[in-house]
Amino acid sequence: MKISAIIVAAGALGAGTAFAQQPVKIGGMYPLTGGGAVYGVPAMAGHQLAIEELNAKGGILGRKIESIERDDKLNPSAASSTMKELITKDKVDIVLGGLSSAVGLAMSEVSKQEKVVYIATIPKTIQMTTDKLHKYVFRTASNTDFEGDTMSLLAGRYKLSKLCNLQLDYAYGNDLEAGIVKTLGKNAPNAKIVLTLKPKLGATDFNPFIPQVMAAGCDGVLSGLWGPHFVSWVKQAKPLGFFDKIKWISGGEIASHEIAGELKGDFPDNVISNTYELWYHAQDPSHKEFQARLAKKLNTQETPQWALLGYVGVMYAAAAMEKAKSTEADKVSAALEGLTIKTPVGPLTIDPKSHQANMGQFWGPMVKKPDRAYRMMDPVEYIQPK
Amino acid sequence: MTLTMFTLNAFYGLALAMNMFIIASGLNLIFGVLRVINFAHGMFYMFGAYIIFTVTKTWGAPFLVGVLASAAGLAVIALAIERLLLKNLYDKEHLMQLLFTFAIVLLMSDAAKMIWGTDQYSVGYPPGLGGAINLGFVLLPQYQLFLCVVGPLIAIAMWLLVDRTRWGRIVRAATQDREMLSALGVNVPMVYAAVFTMGSALAGIGGALAAPRVALVPGMDATIINECFIIVIIGGLGNLWGSFLGALAFGFVVQFGTVLAPNWQDVLPYLLMLAVLIVRPWGLLGRPEAGR
Repeated sequence: MKISAIIVAAGALGAGTAFAQQPVKIGGMYPLTGGGAVYGVPAMAGHQLAIEELNAKGGILGRKIESIERDDKLNPSAASSTMKELITKDKVDIVLGGLSSAVGLAMSEVSKQEKVVYIATIPKTIQMTTDKLHKYVFRTASNTDFEGDTMSLLAGRYKLSKLCNLQLDYAYGNDLEAGIVKTLGKNAPNAKIVLTLKPKLGATDFNPFIPQVMAAGCDGVLSGLWGPHFVSWVKQAKPLGFFDKIKWISGGEIASHEIAGELKGDFPDNVISNTYELWYHAQDPSHKEFQARLAKKLNTQETPQWALLGYVGVMYAAAAMEKAKSTEADKVSAALEGLTIKTPVGPLTIDPKSHQANMGQFWGPMVKKPDRAYRMMDPVEYIQPK
Repeated sequence: MTLTMFTLNAFYGLALAMNMFIIASGLNLIFGVLRVINFAHGMFYMFGAYIIFTVTKTWGAPFLVGVLASAAGLAVIALAIERLLLKNLYDKEHLMQLLFTFAIVLLMSDAAKMIWGTDQYSVGYPPGLGGAINLGFVLLPQYQLFLCVVGPLIAIAMWLLVDRTRWGRIVRAATQDREMLSALGVNVPMVYAAVFTMGSALAGIGGALAAPRVALVPGMDATIINECFIIVIIGGLGNLWGSFLGALAFGFVVQFGTVLAPNWQDVLPYLLMLAVLIVRPWGLLGRPEAGR
């Protein structure tokens, strides 16, 4: 009796110490192959940078962080099964990442079923923080409502009247359109959308659409064509003088240096767009320091914007676990609600009701610079939700 | 639809068709002779685009040199693949060949990631082709006009080569009876290697010529391979003028269809393929394969 009690106690003690030494497991999922890798790989670099910095300071709750990284393949069903595996097999404490809105919704669904906290660091569809909101999903990226609101605000500011609305035909494009339409009457009462076109996601040939926009006589285009879609559109539309007479107001972060630096002289006139991060513009000294650390990790001064999002996601996870003094999903979820942390782009707060952080973006026109081969945003304006 | 819009759309349809024909012609040639369905053709196209990026942007060579480098690069890659690996699979069933070419896709996509990383690239228009020609009532982009000339030139060159030369006669004979050809003293494996190399070089040229019009990103191979298969199937597997016709049908249906029924843009190419296959299961210019 006594002996067995001692054995049990010793066992419990052993388990206890083993438990204390166990690392905190953070699952990171971004597209690392295929078309999404352009964004996923730098986002993962920011994710890793945050984990390296935290581990150098002793980890989370005094425990080391173990980073388990997976490819979400930019595919909702692949992302679902990978995330389930992360949770059941690798026993991660929290999952961060996603890029496409469709993948974000799929990951949110897994997080709901498995009761594990998921912080969406890039997906923007508003559904994640409205209709499909649940206890375990949070977002540290911007969202389509806020992006649409800013775009209609800019349409008003540039005194545009006839607008063409150009969106990709999937969750992000449709939700961004809704965000624009919702606020257009308030922000730009004189503007009217006269033509809406929706190329498919992944389209490379925009010739069916370009002549229609040119024939519609719009003075402005509100566009959600991101990354390669924008590049292909530019390459096909620019020879026609498309950008001479039209203001191109765009979401989808085409003002990021990744696009400007690649298109160089081909980057067209009259583009006003957004980006999460600009390596040549810092909010304050701590922002500048972050940019320097990232530049060292990536071995280039001209760092990509996506790293910031991966970085902020990890910092939020760490802050929530410290606040909850636990890695338990329910406690971490409760800690995230209303949590304010310091980030390279300033303090952010997660709204306790919508689980949405007030992440802002840099907006402005892309202009030529005499001493540069590429365009830069000037003036830069940081627009953040209240 | 006004006259201006109709002309523009017809022109764009033609330009798309020619661009697709240049890419699909190599796939068609390889299938016609080797009876191998080369899934890696889209990846060859992507490599063609990436090679011209490196040659013209990183090394600063002229556009034409870039196109030739893409063709040469793909020829070398394809020759190595054929001589070292694919030649052992001709007698195996189609499934083995499919799995093999699919494995090549995976290997090459990782190789591309190692060589070029995951950044997005773009290639400039060649000098003098970056603008548009004004016909008074409509502007036509010069580069697309250029493609409309190159496409038929490639078609005629291939036709001359396959239908009008001694080498072409051997190639045609190889499609019909390779045992007999071999018995007559022709080195059939070399014919196969040459055809696979040439078809792949065409994919490289296709990628290089498409590069100025589109963004270069990992994954750009994925949709193109489906579209090439659709064109080759519509035209009749292995038939040169069939795939030319198939490309024309594809170009016009996609261009006009997307303008008139934008909600159908995803399924349009497949509907076209279905429609053709219902009427002519062996494709527009293909022949029913009797007794095989």
